[in-house]
Amino acid sequence: MAAVAELTLLEKSLGLSKGNKYNAHGERQIPVLQTNNGPNLTGLTTIAAHLVKQANKEYLLGSTAEEKAIVQQWLEYRVTRVDGHTNKDDIRILLKDLNSYLEDKVYLTGYNFTLADILLYYGLHRFIVDLTVQEKEKYLNVSRWFCHIQHYPGIRQHLSSVVFIKNRLYTNSH
Amino acid sequence: MGFGDLKSPTGLQVLNNYLADKSYIEGYVPSQADVAVFEAVSGPPPADLHHALRWYNHIKSYEKEKASLPGVKKALGKYGPANVEDTTGSGATDSKDDDDIDLFGSDDEEESEEAKRLREERLAQYESKKAKKPALVAKSSILLDVKPWDDETDMAKLEECVRSIQADGLVWGSSKLVPVGYGIKKLQIQCVVEDDKVGTDMLEERITAFEDYVQSMDVAAFNKI
Repeated sequence: MAAVAELTLLEKSLGLSKGNKYNAHGERQIPVLQTNNGPNLTGLTTIAAHLVKQANKEYLLGSTAEEKAIVQQWLEYRVTRVDGHTNKDDIRILLKDLNSYLEDKVYLTGYNFTLADILLYYGLHRFIVDLTVQEKEKYLNVSRWFCHIQHYPGIRQHLSSVVFIKNRLYTNSH
Repeated sequence: MGFGDLKSPTGLQVLNNYLADKSYIEGYVPSQADVAVFEAVSGPPPADLHHALRWYNHIKSYEKEKASLPGVKKALGKYGPANVEDTTGSGATDSKDDDDIDLFGSDDEEESEEAKRLREERLAQYESKKAKKPALVAKSSILLDVKPWDDETDMAKLEECVRSIQADGLVWGSSKLVPVGYGIKKLQIQCVVEDDKVGTDMLEERITAFEDYVQSMDVAAFNKI
């Protein structure tokens, strides 16, 4: 998903009226936001954090210092690791790591819904859609998290809802 | 449905499996369903049950707003995997309203109701039949050995004394004198008693009461008729 489209999605899910204009910059289509007062904002996570503040939903950036750091870390992860990879093997490794990370967590930061969940959801969506039933079951924790986020009010929007089978078919693979 | 006993390791295991692909007991937001199950769990699940523990900690973080969570609390047995039998209720009646696929069980409630009615009818029929039938009186035939003190004891008098014992449900039968030795004879006497009314203890007591004649008394044979 182009970063610009993603930011528009984020705007909507945050409940902001469409008032920002984005430009895609350079070869990697880095979004730039022209603000009324002050310098231009560059980069997906920077703009996303700005939007969250604009919507007065600062809690999405984490409520404690530790949580803020984790959110920051995952936003970075999202931009550097998820966006950079398109080949299957990389995605597999990524999902495997994420799967073990999410084993004891409901959200990326633990027990609070944050911007990191939203952006990682948007970032992973195109990969998760292509997963087979067996793969979804293999990355059970990712599936649970993903399914949870896509049902979070206002997040999914026009993105296709990914279907997760309720019954486990491949009990040995997990 | 239900998780079984959530205080036991097996119950927690079921919960753990159930929560592997779910963040909440029901739906995608914390609700009273979570609160109900949370309250049934006695404490944090062991660390090896990752999913149960994750869920537990997550719900714990909602502790303060517990009452304001959406949804209506249901019986604990209404939650959880459909293929696990509910053991939280008070027995068989509860398991009827779970909607799992029970291939071998009774099809629906109506039928089992019907079966129950039929059974009661039969029971009542049987009871009344039993009541009409004359009660069979259990009787026993007893052969008694009554031994005199010595060869000078008047055996005719002894027999007369024994036969003088009257009781409801006691009928004396034939008797004979059996030589024991040294000229001493013992009295062997048959009697039929109704088990409910006459016991051998009572017979023994009454017979040995004639202590002028009777030295001792034995039950030689006891047959149910």
